[in-house]
Order: sequence, then structure tokens, then C-alpha cells
Amino acid sequence: MIDPVTDVKGARPDEQITTNPADASQRMRMQTPMIAVAPWVIAILVLLFLPLVFTNNSALTIMNQMSITIIFALAYNMLLGQAGMLSFGHAVYAGVGGFACMHIMNMTDFFASIPLVILPIFGGLFGMGLAMIVGSFSTRSAGTVFAMISLGVGELIAASSVIIVAFFGGEEGVSGDRTYAQPFFGVEFLQQIEVYYLTAAWVIVSALLMFLWSRTPVGRMANAVRDNPERAEFLGYSSRWVRFYSFVASGFFAGIAGGLFAINYEILTEENLNTTSSGVILLVTFLGGVGFFFGPIIGAVVFTLVQTVLSLQTELWAFYAGSLFLATVMFFPGGLAGLLMMHVPVFKLGKAGHLVMPYIKTLIPAAIGVLGLAALVEMTFHYRHAATGDNEMTVFWTTFDSHTLLPWLIAGAITIIGLGIARATAPDLKEAWNEANTAGGGA
Amino acid sequence: MDLILVNLIDGLVTGLLLFMLSAGLTLIFSMMGVLNFAHASFYMLGAYFAYQISLALGFWLGLLIAPLIVGVIGAGVERYGLRRVHQYGHVPELIFTFGLALLIEELVQFIWGKNQMPYNVPDVLNFTAFSISGNSIPAFKVFMIFVSVGIFLGLLFVLTKTRVGMIIQAALSYPRTVEALGHNVPLIFMGVFGVGTALAGVAGVIAGPVLGTFPGMAFVLGSIVFVTIVIGGLGSLWGALVASLLIGWITTFAKSYNIEMEGILNAIGIATPENLSDNPLRDFWALTSPQIADILPYILMVLILIFRPQGLFGKRES
Amino acid sequence: MSVPALELNGLKKNFGKAEIIRGIDLSIGKAERHAIIGPNGAGKSTLFNLITARFPPSAGTVKLHGEDLTGLQPFEINRRGLSRSFQITNIFPKMTVFENVRCALLWAQGYKYSFWNFVNRSRKLTEGTEAILEQINLANRRDLPAGTLSYAEQRALEIGITIAGGANVIMLDEPTAGMSHSETDYITDLILKVTEGKTLIMVEHDMGVVFGLADRISVLVYGEIIATGAPEAVRADPKVQEAYLGAALEAEH
Repeated sequence: MIDPVTDVKGARPDEQITTNPADASQRMRMQTPMIAVAPWVIAILVLLFLPLVFTNNSALTIMNQMSITIIFALAYNMLLGQAGMLSFGHAVYAGVGGFACMHIMNMTDFFASIPLVILPIFGGLFGMGLAMIVGSFSTRSAGTVFAMISLGVGELIAASSVIIVAFFGGEEGVSGDRTYAQPFFGVEFLQQIEVYYLTAAWVIVSALLMFLWSRTPVGRMANAVRDNPERAEFLGYSSRWVRFYSFVASGFFAGIAGGLFAINYEILTEENLNTTSSGVILLVTFLGGVGFFFGPIIGAVVFTLVQTVLSLQTELWAFYAGSLFLATVMFFPGGLAGLLMMHVPVFKLGKAGHLVMPYIKTLIPAAIGVLGLAALVEMTFHYRHAATGDNEMTVFWTTFDSHTLLPWLIAGAITIIGLGIARATAPDLKEAWNEANTAGGGA
Repeated sequence: MDLILVNLIDGLVTGLLLFMLSAGLTLIFSMMGVLNFAHASFYMLGAYFAYQISLALGFWLGLLIAPLIVGVIGAGVERYGLRRVHQYGHVPELIFTFGLALLIEELVQFIWGKNQMPYNVPDVLNFTAFSISGNSIPAFKVFMIFVSVGIFLGLLFVLTKTRVGMIIQAALSYPRTVEALGHNVPLIFMGVFGVGTALAGVAGVIAGPVLGTFPGMAFVLGSIVFVTIVIGGLGSLWGALVASLLIGWITTFAKSYNIEMEGILNAIGIATPENLSDNPLRDFWALTSPQIADILPYILMVLILIFRPQGLFGKRES
Repeated sequence: MSVPALELNGLKKNFGKAEIIRGIDLSIGKAERHAIIGPNGAGKSTLFNLITARFPPSAGTVKLHGEDLTGLQPFEINRRGLSRSFQITNIFPKMTVFENVRCALLWAQGYKYSFWNFVNRSRKLTEGTEAILEQINLANRRDLPAGTLSYAEQRALEIGITIAGGANVIMLDEPTAGMSHSETDYITDLILKVTEGKTLIMVEHDMGVVFGLADRISVLVYGEIIATGAPEAVRADPKVQEAYLGAALEAEH
């Protein structure tokens, strides 16, 4: 296994998690505006042309889901990555924004007078309003106390959703119809593709705004307060207010995500508020990497794909997702973005080629081993829980009897051999990695 | 009057159960600065292990063995998981325990499935201990009270009267000094984590038959336990005790007396609006105490955090 | 005499029963360089923390340019023109050197909690930051994470952050602690350079630095000031000789 803690040259362990966009912004500052704008242009083009590649409605649904998650995860990372505040109840702000949008949809006269495209703004405002109320007492401190308050408030609001039926609609939630809005240049958003472009436009706008936020004085101070709140106080900034502003801004963008959810699904329920949703967004953000602005975007894309693909294949997808999450926290606290960015120095030194073979030698057997392990897990699950007499199961397109010995031996052997080879080649990979990170000729 | 007594006993049972969890959580927090999000998951493991053991060896051996296994798992988690994550800081530690809680729930579903386990009160304790004007108090509740009080006294004794307890108390405040004095602080941490989780395991063993042994049980109790220690003051054992009992009684009383919001509001001089069914606040007016019993702890926590951020017995703000 | 830059009246601090600061009266004039010396445990850092509201005092008042600071938060005191450094290096280790200094300039340049300005668009901010970096000789380190600098460089950065905001009262807590001779000389020159025309209050152990820099010296022993005056007068004071300097000077020889 590659161990980022010891392998990133000159980086201290804790840097992995909180490396901030600061130095990136520095570099950006000196580069021409062309290069700074390039990622955004590419993102717009990709979003524009994706529906030409994936044309069916279920693909569009997945992409919309992805977009909403991207906004939500970026908003979440304004807290976790940039201001160092860990929230266990952030779904509440997205949820309340979404519920507010559903109610606006149901206010027939008013809704008919506004175009649908601006509806998420209302979601944002409601999310922001709630964040202002909660933030007024929760941002006093960061760390554990903030985390606990966020959990308590989250639980409180989620629990009141079944009590305050007028707003949250009780068990069945609130539903509405987006097409009653004022047509927007003749578009009534009856079709999935129209909703796709609406959502995509909001992703670009929100992501851009959140990115720009990190360049403003208050955004910069959020980093400072995250790293050393006391020092920030002696520079004239109240840590509490810096946290408050970050929290409110994050609540706004979470509310936008909630509004887009309302437009896409036309129904909100208690599920949009509860701790599970809050936990998922933490998972997505952390998986993507909190240290870089684009981390949560990667997290949202990967997680949505894993969720949709895996959940079709296996009942145990949440188990795999949980394992992946825990492994990330333990071994790659920089997340996927951290893993990617680890390779930047290697590319700069022009030694990326040296890593290809060691990676193949280690990672492919490791992947095979992990798949073998997954097969064992699936077989165990089937063995324990399948109905009596139902001994047939299918794993990796292979159908067999889970109550016979042979499949177990095969899966076990694949696991042991795969992981064994990976383990044996890992030192070589590590050496190659160190070599690739060293400037100068080398062998 | 008799009903009050019954409720006092019920609330005491709930409160002491909460305390068994919050005590371990508090010990771990004050020593390591880590709020163990997965604490209630160990409680759940305790119940499931005890159920599995009770099938083969009976309830009593389950009560003995299950907490031990849970404690060993807890110590393992500290040694191989938490200690590794510790170097990244507190926030990743918290995230780690959060992920652990998710994984344990999935793991429990993986092994035992999603349904409730038929883990029941043992026959020897399945009788009515006494009754108060028609309300019978089952013997198992009395047993739960005895176990929790016994554990509390034991903990108190170990912490204040033994050498190990002294070292732990010292390590709580001055880990570096204690380490310099030649004590193995990482080992103490591991031990405290193990004992704390084992306590949660005991709570699981005795709560499983009453509250039900199902995959959601950790989640149901877990967030209440956090609320408890926040209300009591992070790191204060006495605060944890007081807050546990407080929450136990408040929720029990709220559930058994049907107090209506309308009644309260009328009593303080606010008249019921006409056409209540059209009023946007109608749900608020129609609230009853059993309805909100389960969210009372959260409301209490928010109030405490606004007016006394350090908690009832906390010394520092953070 | 005009209003003193900093004035302490009957300042006391107890931790439980222990009296750490036992009633301090001190007046420091504008543009004065004032050093506070004293043996270990005399309460020098505590005094600093009381003045900057890191701890609340048990009794007494602190006045900055005649304004009572009682009940103000550290950030409010900073906004009134008092800035301090710390004994243990207190910077933003994960941010770049440039970012560190720029953060220190934000409030002073009036950005407050703005979210409608972009920090890298402001020429004034960038130039101000670069000027400070020049002053503290860290211009060639600007894009490195501050945590990777050498100890002396981090101390220099700490001083840079402290003075960047343009405060007119600067408090330095042992700026040369733990440094070699050449590093100490470097920091001393730096302090002289950057506090030109400002009020400087410093806690310092190195007598060379103290006598080289200070206009006046106060000697703090067991929470009380036993002497205040010009360096020569303090050096000659028999009480000081007895309580502190004697031992310290003997140890040095």
C-alpha cells in the first residue's frame, strides 16, 4: 500500500487533510487568466455535451443526481475543508431549502409568476436563514462542540418533520409540480433534458461562486481560523464571526442544492433531512478530498456512480461504501483529490512513466484480491440469509451453489493470491514512488 | 402519586442505562479528547453478542462474556484504528468513529439481518417484582437498576481508590507528565477505551431484551447519549450522571402525562386562535407531550448550549 | 506629558489561590521601547496575556492610548492598534508565508468580513504584503508553507505578522527565545527596523538584546515590578542586582 504520510516528500502528516487552495491560488495568480478560466470552460463544455453521449432518461437522472450532490458537497466543504467545521447535520439546510421550494411550487399564483430557473434561489435563502439562526449559537467554537450542536440540531429538525406537518408534510412529505411555473423562454421543463440543463447551469454558477468565495477576505480568513483561531483573533478577526459567515454561506448553497432536488424529484420527505443524508454528504466530501476545491466534485461523481452501479448489483453496497470510507479516513486522509495531487510533483519531474509498471504490478493483483474478498463476502451473506433451498447464487456473472466447497476454495485462493502478490510487490512500488519523487537523474 | 412513583422507576432505568453509555463516553472523551461516535455501536454489539451467546450458554454467561468481547474489540479499534488517525487531528478522529458506526451497523445487518432478534428476558427474572397500585414492576427492571448502580459504584471505587484509578485521573489532565513518570500512556488509553466500550457492551446486554435487539438500536440511543454528555458538560462524569437521569425522567414523564401545548399556552394567557384548522401554526397548537418526548433532549441541549455553553457541570467552554 | 500609549493600573491575576500578578502599575509612553525582564516564573508572559485579553484580569485596568480595554475581546484590542507575538511560535503553518502576512493585513486595510472583494485582485494588498516580506527578508520564501520554514525564519514571520497590520503598539514575547547568537543579532536588527517610531513592549531573557534595544526596562519579580527606569539605572539598582541581575550576570560570566 502507498502510505501518503511517509511518502509525500516534505509534507507533514496533517497537511494531507487540510492542504488548502491557498498555494494553488498563488500559482493561479501568476498564471495568465486563460489558464485560470480553462477548467471552467472545460466543465461547461462537458456538461453541455454529456447528454449527447448519454441520451436515455435514467442516465440524465443520474447526472442530475450527481450535479445536486456536487453543489451540496461543495457547500459542505466550505465548512469542513475550508473552515475546519465538522457538521453532522448539514442535510437539514438543504432539506429546509428544498421544502421551502416545494411550498413555493404549491403557491399557485406566485409560482406562476416566476420562472422555474430562479426557484433554487429561494431554497438558498431559506437554507441561509436557518443557518443564520443556528449559526448564531453554534459557531461559538469549532471542533467537537460544533459537531455535537450540528448533530443535535439536525436530529431536532429531522424529528420535528413528523410533528410539524404543515411545513414538512409528515410521513408522506410534500410534493408539487414544477411545470406550473412561468415558462422560461417557452420552456416548461416537462422533459428531463430541460431539467438537466437547468441543473447543469446551476452547478456551474454555484461552483463558480463558491470558488470565488474562497478568494475573498472572509474566505481566506476561514482558512486562517481553521488553522489557528487564536492567532486570527490577534489579527483583528473574530473567529466566531468568520465561522458564522462560512456557515451561513454554506447554508445558502446547501439550500440551492435542496431547491434543485425539489425541481428534479418534485417531492421532499423526512429522508432529505435525516442524519443518514447528513452522513452521506460527509462521506462524499471526505472521499473526494477536503483539501482541494475540486475534491468534493470528484467525490460526488464517484459516489453517485458507485451508488447507482453497486446498488443494482448487490444488497451490500452500503457495507462496501462504509469500508471504503473507513479505509480512506485511515490511509488516505486527503481523499481522491489528495491521491491525484500527490502525483503532481512526479509529473513535474517528468518521472510519471517510472511509476506505470510498479502500479500495474501492485494495483492489479490488489484489485483482483479485493474482488475475491468481495466474492467471499457475498457468498457468506448468501449462505446465511438466502431462503432455505435457494442455494444458487451469481457472483461476477458466474452462477454456482453457495453450499458447496469448490466456489469457496476458488474465491479464497483468488483473494489470497491477489493480495499476496500485491503485498509482495508493494515495497518495489514504494521504492519507485520515492525514486520518482526525487529530483535529478536517478537510475 | 403512585403513577409518579412508577414513572420515577421507569425514568431511573432509562437514565441509568444512558449513564452506562455516557460514563464510558465521558471517560474516553476526557482522556483522549475523542468523542467516540461509534460508542452506541458497541452497545449494539453487546446486545447481539449476548444474544448469540445466550443461545448456546444462557443469559448469564452472555452477560459475562459479551462485554469482554466488546471491550477487546474496542481496544483493538483504538490500537489499530484510532491511534493511526490520531496523528491527523481531532476532526478526522471524529470522522473515523462516525465511519466506524456506519460500518458496524452494516456489519450487524450482514451477520444477523435486518430483523429484530428474539433476545428475551431470562426466565429467572421474568416475573413481577412488586406492584404499585396495579402497575407491576418487572423484576428485570430492578435487576437493571442493580447492575447499573453496581457498575457505577465499581467505577467510582476504581477511579478514586485504586492506583490504576489515580494514574488514569492523572493521565486525564497531564498525559505528558504521566508518560514522563514512566507510565505507558498509550496502553492506558487503550485500556480506557476498552473498558469504556465494555461498559457500553454491558448496557447493551441488559437493554437488548427490553428495548429490542435490532440494527437501528445503536442509532436510536447513540445521538441521545451525545446529547446527554453535552448537557452534562463534556468530560464531566457527574454531569453525565445528572444529565442521564434528567433525560431519563423527562422523557418518561413526558410520555406518560398527556400535556397539550394548547393547555400550556392557555395557562400562560394566550388564547386559542379561532379557526385553528386553518392556522399555519395549527401543528404547534396541537402538540402533545408524548409526541415531543423523544425530541425533548435535543431541545434541552440547544437551550443549554445557548445559555450555558459549557454544559451543566462543564468547566471550560470547549 | 501626553497620554501614555499603554497604562496599567493595579493589574492583578490570581489562578485559584496563587497570585501570579500582584498589582502592577506601569505607564509606557509613545514610541518608547520598553523591555520587561525578570526571572523565570515572574509572570512576564501572564502579564502579556492580561494586557491582550488572552486571560481576564482579576483586578485592575489596562488603558491603550487612554482607552480602557476592560471587557474587550482580543480582536477588538487588535483593532485599536495593539498587536502581539507569542512566545511559542504562533503562525498559520499550513498556509504559505505570503498568505500568512496577507491575512495580517486584511483587517488593517479595511476588508473586514468582505465577500465581494477578491484578495488577489487588490494591488495594494499584494504590494503591502510584499513590502512586509521584504522587511523581514522572507521574500524568497513567499510560496512555501510557513510550517516548513526554519525556526528563525518562523520567528521572523511571527514578527512580520505582528507588525503587518500597522499597529502602533507592538508587544513581542521573547522574540529571540531558543536562537543562536547570529540568529539573535538578525532578529534584533529586524525588531529595530520594523518598530521604528512605534511603541514596543517586549519580554526578553537575553540581556544583550534588552540593553541594546530598550529605552526603559521594568524588572518583574514574583508578580511585582521592583524597578523601572533607564537601562543604566536599572542595572545599578541594588534591589535588581540582588533579585535578578546579580544571579543572571554571574551565570553569564
